Amino acid sequence: MRDYQGVALLAPVSHGYAKQGPHTAPWFIGRTLKLMLEQAGLQKDDIDGFAISSFSLGIDSVIPLTQHFQITPRWVEQLPYGGASGVIALRRAARAIQAGDASIIACIGGDSAAQGSFEVTAGEFSTFTVDASFPYGAAGPNAAFALITQNYMERFGARREDFARIALDQRYNANHYPPALLGHKTLSLEQYLNARPIAGPLHLFDCVMPCTGGEGFLVMSEERAQASGQPYCLIKAAGELHNSHRDDPIQERGGWTEYAIQLYEQASLGVEDIDLVQTYDDYPVISMMQLEDLGFCNKGEGPQFVQSTDMRFDHSGTQQRKLPHNTSGGQLSVGQAGSAAGYMGVTESIRQLTGRAGSNQVSSARHAMVSGFGMINYDRGLCSAATILAGVDQ
Amino acid sequence: MTASDNSKTLEKPNGNLPDNDSRPPRKRSAIGLTFTAANLPTALSLQHCEDCGQVQYPPRELCGRCLGPLAWRDTEGSGVITSRLDLHHSLSDFFKHKLAQRSWAIANVKLSCGPTVISHLDLASFSAQQASEVAAGTEVQVFSHSDCSLQSVLIATAPGQDLDEAAVRSKRARELGLLDPAPKPGGF
Repeated sequence: MRDYQGVALLAPVSHGYAKQGPHTAPWFIGRTLKLMLEQAGLQKDDIDGFAISSFSLGIDSVIPLTQHFQITPRWVEQLPYGGASGVIALRRAARAIQAGDASIIACIGGDSAAQGSFEVTAGEFSTFTVDASFPYGAAGPNAAFALITQNYMERFGARREDFARIALDQRYNANHYPPALLGHKTLSLEQYLNARPIAGPLHLFDCVMPCTGGEGFLVMSEERAQASGQPYCLIKAAGELHNSHRDDPIQERGGWTEYAIQLYEQASLGVEDIDLVQTYDDYPVISMMQLEDLGFCNKGEGPQFVQSTDMRFDHSGTQQRKLPHNTSGGQLSVGQAGSAAGYMGVTESIRQLTGRAGSNQVSSARHAMVSGFGMINYDRGLCSAATILAGVDQ
Repeated sequence: MTASDNSKTLEKPNGNLPDNDSRPPRKRSAIGLTFTAANLPTALSLQHCEDCGQVQYPPRELCGRCLGPLAWRDTEGSGVITSRLDLHHSLSDFFKHKLAQRSWAIANVKLSCGPTVISHLDLASFSAQQASEVAAGTEVQVFSHSDCSLQSVLIATAPGQDLDEAAVRSKRARELGLLDPAPKPGGF
């Protein structure tokens, strides 16, 4: 597979996080775009590529947005891949830059959160969901992920205390990331364990809080990024695979197992070279699976790995092994702004690798692994995507 | 069934909101409705490929193995529990009202004929109060019954019952609480 040489990522923006609000999806996408342009010192008409993801555009697609925002892109993309959208947008955009199909591409995920909108999205997520999972308790994604979590716990001996490691270190990170909706509250092991039960082993702090927000970044050639004078990072490797392990009776792994080795080979890096990792944390068990499947530990060793790894952004935990994980707090502590959640790992990693993270900056962050997971169609999530990003000495 | 029940079903088969009333979610796709119809007269009907024989679920129009055409056939419903749990939270008023009384059990079952199904779990048939009392790996029989939204749903129950008897199936579905609406406790 061809490398991603010469493609730069910059102008990361996370914007508009709120529990609920009157604004519609175009507001979050458009305001995020405006902030990206301001950060990069660009005009709206400099954008000739436009990629978006949203669950709340209703009857609209990326095309009505071009008229709404008065832009004239020669390359558009719409990525309805949930938590894998951001990494897949990055891949598509990078190839378009390499091919010369566009020169500056804005990639944005944005969603509104009107009252009752989460119930509608959950109840109508896909045909298989409507026919074969939602009627059984109408618990939305909680049900399928709880069944996956319960199986994982029994199969590999994971305990709630192990999932708590992920949630607690992320909350610590969120306490240092001002936009996080839950960042003003600390989370103790006792609070985590005593939380309200939701579905089987899942309790309140295993579940994300739906919210509004937008996340976006720009993709352009490295030459153009250098000329802009803005800090940027590079793509060292990327991959995706969908509906992998399709005969597994219940999900214990994702597509990353099939290309993790190629990612490290393409990047000429080892697992030990990764300074921070962003997984798609719609539930802690899914983060644990990603850590396993991306090679940070073996299958089934996730519980021991998180117990013996400090995942705080500032390396302040007691564990010897340091691997900052979901350094802004992830969805579990920032909130899940629909499709924007699938872009969050990319934007946060660009901030980290360009030294612009601010109060949650990881020191000496050079390489980041960003993983995406999306679309629980019936009993499992189908999309997997991952990328290794690298900072540049500037 | 009363006339008003009937008109209600016809009024919003594809409403935008997930049936926030006293009955289980009734929304189905066009193919999902054929699952309901095929299962009304029998213990379990699933789609079989007319070319390769593969059994399918969830309902669909083409064989997932060879893309051949499908036909509804009576199917033997033995299987093994892969995962199961008690729900404590729901987005539907029917289940919210049920959950105000006690948790609601569901299971992920690997059928011996092939597919994996998500089903209601009939704890009483195992003399169990909680899903955790029915271990993963437990053998079950999966059958279908219409719920009070008049849609067929799958139920996993203990083996050894005569599920060919409609009365036995109805008794299990009734004891689960699927056949009666669950109005808001205390009324309006």
